[in-house]
Amino acid sequence: VARKELTGRIYICRLRGMASPRLSPQTLLVLERFLEQPAEWRYGYELSRETGLKSGTLYPILMRLAKYELLETKWVATEEGVPPRHTYRLTTKGMELSRAQQKPERSVERARRVALSGGKA
Amino acid sequence: MTSGLLRRLAASLLEAAVSIAPKEALEWGQAMLGELRHVEGNWSALVWSLGGAGVLAKQALVALVFPSGDRPTIPSGGGFLSKEADMRKPALVVIASCVVASLLFFVLPVFRQAFQVSLAQWHEVFHIDLDFDRMDSAAAIAALAKKAEQNHDAEALAFAAERTPNQNEALRLADEAVRLDPSLTWVYATTGAWYAPNFGMERVALLQKSDPQNALPYLIKAQKIGVTVTYSKEFPLGKITENPGWTQAMEAAFLAPRLDEYRDRRMQLDHRVLARYQVHDPFQIPGDDDDFPAYGVWYASRYAESTVEAGQTLESRGDRKAASERYLAVAHFCDLAGPYRMLFFRRGCKPAFERLANISEMQGNKAEAAFYSALGDEFTKTAERDLARRRNSFGGNEVSRWNAFLVRLSGLALLFCAALLVVCALGVVVRSQSLKWSALQASQLTLGLASIAAVGALLASAVLFASYRPYSELMQQYLSRGDTTGLAEVSSFLSDVQLPLGSRLAGSQLRMSESYVGSTSAVFYFWLGVALLCGVALLAAVLRHVQTRQRTTAAA
Repeated sequence: VARKELTGRIYICRLRGMASPRLSPQTLLVLERFLEQPAEWRYGYELSRETGLKSGTLYPILMRLAKYELLETKWVATEEGVPPRHTYRLTTKGMELSRAQQKPERSVERARRVALSGGKA
Repeated sequence: MTSGLLRRLAASLLEAAVSIAPKEALEWGQAMLGELRHVEGNWSALVWSLGGAGVLAKQALVALVFPSGDRPTIPSGGGFLSKEADMRKPALVVIASCVVASLLFFVLPVFRQAFQVSLAQWHEVFHIDLDFDRMDSAAAIAALAKKAEQNHDAEALAFAAERTPNQNEALRLADEAVRLDPSLTWVYATTGAWYAPNFGMERVALLQKSDPQNALPYLIKAQKIGVTVTYSKEFPLGKITENPGWTQAMEAAFLAPRLDEYRDRRMQLDHRVLARYQVHDPFQIPGDDDDFPAYGVWYASRYAESTVEAGQTLESRGDRKAASERYLAVAHFCDLAGPYRMLFFRRGCKPAFERLANISEMQGNKAEAAFYSALGDEFTKTAERDLARRRNSFGGNEVSRWNAFLVRLSGLALLFCAALLVVCALGVVVRSQSLKWSALQASQLTLGLASIAAVGALLASAVLFASYRPYSELMQQYLSRGDTTGLAEVSSFLSDVQLPLGSRLAGSQLRMSESYVGSTSAVFYFWLGVALLCGVALLAAVLRHVQTRQRTTAAA
């Protein structure tokens, strides 16, 4: 339903010559990374390396996702004497939106990758 | 060693950013700091830290502008996609408050006048060939002249004659004023009327008759003859001293008991007319103009030199008495003209005092010789001091120069901010393709620009008001009580305020030759600025278009 709504919204925007809803390519990239392993908690630096986004771009996206309850956060202790790390995971609401936002060709590509890697990718 | 330093620098930078971060961003600051330990590579750590510090600084700035109470909470449902609406309400409140406050300034008459004065600089830019001082008021003066003619008001006609740029029209108005009130004959001397080609000698005779002891009518007569002689083939330049009419007029001027330029009479007349006709145009307030005839100093200098030469000839022939009379006439006129003007014809004045001292000494009158010598020295010193003072305060004193600069700058800023607000409003309407309030959608960029413009307009209004108010009060003192003490200050301010911004380097103690860029250059720089701004606007529009296209593609 959400996807249908979004597609409809983008279509209306295009029809009226307006800009599409403001989900930046960088946000889409981050959401895509979360969707690859939706159940796992991810570190900020890890996401930065995977997406190629600098901290100045990545953290405002994470902050905004968390603000709108699309992302849940938690502090985890790693080693003794080392400060805990902040980790992130999509909420159910976040997952719904992310799935609705994924481009069809990206989904196809991901499915192809999964198929070719024997379900490991 | 360097690597450790870089990491420490990165950590310190991020820690500093965390310390200024607002409460709601604190956790994220700690998160970035925590991740810093795991960043591979020292330079990467520094880049990480710089990025994180930038984010936290931005958050701190937002918290400063919009305190936590004003910031919206998470909207219910679909808020993530309507990010643009986040700051809309507080930003609109800020914009509306600032615009209303700026508009409220216009309720004050002083502010309206200040705004009008701040626009005077544009006359130079757009009408460079027009009469610089009077162009903005020409229509108002013509209307006042018409009214004065209807009322048979001689003083108002004289007032209008003084300010009418057209010499023939000025002469007609002056004639009418004198016809109605013959005691106003002096008006012929203070208006530009006598520059008119058809200002005949009969009017000069009237001036002389009305004030026979004044040197000014004789100087005007000498100038009228001088202009004719200078431009005729029979009397090339330099032969003016051979013209008997000119020599006679100059001799009468040098022997006249006083030199009255009618400044006081003019001030009083202006005050009465301004009050009677409720004229509030600051550019009509009389300034400290010099009513000395334009060529007066040059002619006086020529005559003083030739008189001293004639005295020396008489002296060589042994006629000391006749020579002394010549020297005394020159010294007397130097005294009348005042030390400032004396400096311009010092080639005549200084030798006159020296020769008088010399003759007195030769006659054995040492006390008189010392007196003339001291008088000559005193005159020279006073003249030099006066000239130095005038050079230092060229174009007004430092305070009025700065105030004029602030008035011009704030007026310009006010116009710019208003234009930016209009552009933002048009942008929102075009983007939303609707005039309905509920349908209007402003991007964050538009809201940001509009907020800056609104705050800027308010600040500019406050600065404009504060900078202009003292001059308004000085003008009010003159209009209500005839107090002329602050008029020199006002005149200096008003002459500076008419210069286009940038044509003079405000606040600097420059020499006369260095302080002006020149009006032609100012016009050039103005249009260059306009062209550059248009270029920047075009570039911004293209970038915006490209950005929007990328987003549309990505979202599709």
